[in-house]
Amino acid sequence: MKRNILPLAVPIAALALLSGCAMGGSAPAAVTLDPDAELSGEITVWSWDVAATALDRLGAQFESDHPGTTVNVVDVGYDNAYDKLSVGLQAGSGLPDVVTIETDRAPGYINEFPTGLVDLTPVLGDAEADFDPFKWSAQSDADGALKVAPWDSGTVGLFFRTDYFEEAGVDPASIETWDDLLAAGETIKQATGHTLLSLDVASGGAFQLLLQQQGQGLFDASGDITITSPEAVEALTLLQTMNERGLLKNVKGWDGRVTSAKDGDSAVTPEAVWWIGTLLGDAPELSGRYGVTELPGFDADGARTSNSGGSGLAVPAQAKNPDLAAAFVEYALADTENQVSMMANEGLFPSYLPALADPYFQEPQEYFGGEPVYELFAEQTANIPPITFTTDNAEASDIVANAVVAAVLNGADPATALQDAAEQIATATGREIAE
Amino acid sequence: MSTTASVAAGMRRGILRAPVYVVLVIASVLAVVPFAWMAIASTHATSDLFGTPLPVLPGGELWVNLARLQESVDFSGVMLNSLVIAVIYTVFSSIVSIMCGYGLATYRFRGRGLLLGLVLVTMMIPMQVLLVPLFQMMASAGWIDTYQAVVLPFLANAFGIFLMRQGFLDFPVSLIEAARIDGANEFRTFYRIVLPVARPQIAALVIYTFISQWNAFIWPLLMLNTEDKYTVPVALNTMIGMSRVDYSGLMLGSLLATLPLMLLFLVFQKQFVSGLLGGAVKG
Repeated sequence: MKRNILPLAVPIAALALLSGCAMGGSAPAAVTLDPDAELSGEITVWSWDVAATALDRLGAQFESDHPGTTVNVVDVGYDNAYDKLSVGLQAGSGLPDVVTIETDRAPGYINEFPTGLVDLTPVLGDAEADFDPFKWSAQSDADGALKVAPWDSGTVGLFFRTDYFEEAGVDPASIETWDDLLAAGETIKQATGHTLLSLDVASGGAFQLLLQQQGQGLFDASGDITITSPEAVEALTLLQTMNERGLLKNVKGWDGRVTSAKDGDSAVTPEAVWWIGTLLGDAPELSGRYGVTELPGFDADGARTSNSGGSGLAVPAQAKNPDLAAAFVEYALADTENQVSMMANEGLFPSYLPALADPYFQEPQEYFGGEPVYELFAEQTANIPPITFTTDNAEASDIVANAVVAAVLNGADPATALQDAAEQIATATGREIAE
Repeated sequence: MSTTASVAAGMRRGILRAPVYVVLVIASVLAVVPFAWMAIASTHATSDLFGTPLPVLPGGELWVNLARLQESVDFSGVMLNSLVIAVIYTVFSSIVSIMCGYGLATYRFRGRGLLLGLVLVTMMIPMQVLLVPLFQMMASAGWIDTYQAVVLPFLANAFGIFLMRQGFLDFPVSLIEAARIDGANEFRTFYRIVLPVARPQIAALVIYTFISQWNAFIWPLLMLNTEDKYTVPVALNTMIGMSRVDYSGLMLGSLLATLPLMLLFLVFQKQFVSGLLGGAVKG
């Protein structure tokens, strides 16, 4: 038996060497955009889903406005687009001229590949004041260079079942704070038997949404861990109280949330504007039973919105035609008419604030009983509190999600659970806990 | 007396076997239910799949789903792409595996153990480690978005080589020697004597190789960048949207994607049996 091991020793040593070498990738040289460049040639754009449909439409328009240019849009699928993107950035080749990146993924890529994405500031910098401030800061690097152009916003509002509110005699306009909502939830539960809201507790998403509403992320501007702050404890306590009073229905994953909405389990859904698309597509039979109002505040004059999702466009440094790519990004995103057309045709809610003043957003929406619900989201987009992201957000999110489960479902003390989580994050990332 | 005893023994055997049947029934249900659900779900609209109670009977949306599947991802086109890639890969990879396995099993040469060790060790390199360097190689060869980049890197398949080598270890050496004495050269021996006898194990290899390429996802995903070159798994993946998933289309696509595999299995099952019965060594 022993003799058989020897022949394996050499290949295994070779393997160890190989896998060690495989990690290196070539970093492309920095690319500086020329805003006045002559536009010609061809670009390829990666996107997914309705976003790809939108860019395909605008691409054809761009071609006819700029003769001699070609825009190829490829639907690379949403689920594994990031595998392609990560490998391409790591390898330093194989990426197209424009890629789509979601807002919560953007900081990771910006920090991980500092030279991987082109600085878009020379082309879009003048329009900074016209964009959703949260998107702009989340998609820029530490030196303020914009790496991912803001596309659509995930402005959050409170979706509510008008029929349940009516039956319980609660006026949605009277809900100003989360305490008001809790009280309303108890009345609704007594009158209709429905819970207040359905939540996938284990994802930790609701907690981060409530945290951002108070202007906080998992880390502060100097990169210290902030989840032991009074605001964080308040957000977690709120979720815990909801569960203790029987107002929370815990569901599993995205499909669980859609099913719960369709079944009408709960009276409200605090979610981003794109939830409208999900309702229209997956629950068309609930037309006329939903309304939207502002998110309840933590105190009377606090922010009445938050952010959930949204995405942007970036130009990889390896792009063959970065100037044309940036020109197309500007054409699609920093333009009122085009942004409004993407809202009207594909349901992508603009991060470009001038577009939100368009009459389209005042139009009554049939699904919502003729209420112009987009107007509310349009008003709130500029109020989304900006927060700081770091490279460790993904890891910290997992640890925080565990703390949320411990407090909300297993009854742990919120302050203690968050303190434990903060210490775990500190150990895992080497960061300090903010005072 | 003796009949009652044997009846009692039969009953006892039946009772003893009951737990086995229970386990088998549970296992078959576990295996069949997801497949049945896939078939049922592919005949409903996606929004019905979120309803309570879940639909248990087939619905009437099959043709609508099929038309949408064809329109959104050009399903017939990507099926053809997948077939072409899988067939080419299976043919060439099988040739490599069979020849390497045969060589490693029947020839005695210096460094044979080392060579086999090297082949086996490549099985231990995780795919994640290979992705970036392989990607770089394909990019510098200018092969991104081509089918040769999908097929070539995995043509020499360590598992296939190992599978064939193990099979040929048991191959009757007397048969090869007889052929050599009769004056057949090495290639003729391999082609005329070894291959026909090895049919069952080759059938197993072909099924394995075809399935692995048919189901391959991450590498074709990384290599193929235009929709009209996508394979079935890559194309189906584009139906998973950001805030909506077209489940009924996905289910129908997955269901249709299993058909070629079943066909392949049926065809080669025959081969499998005839190979077993064809026994070449007598007495």
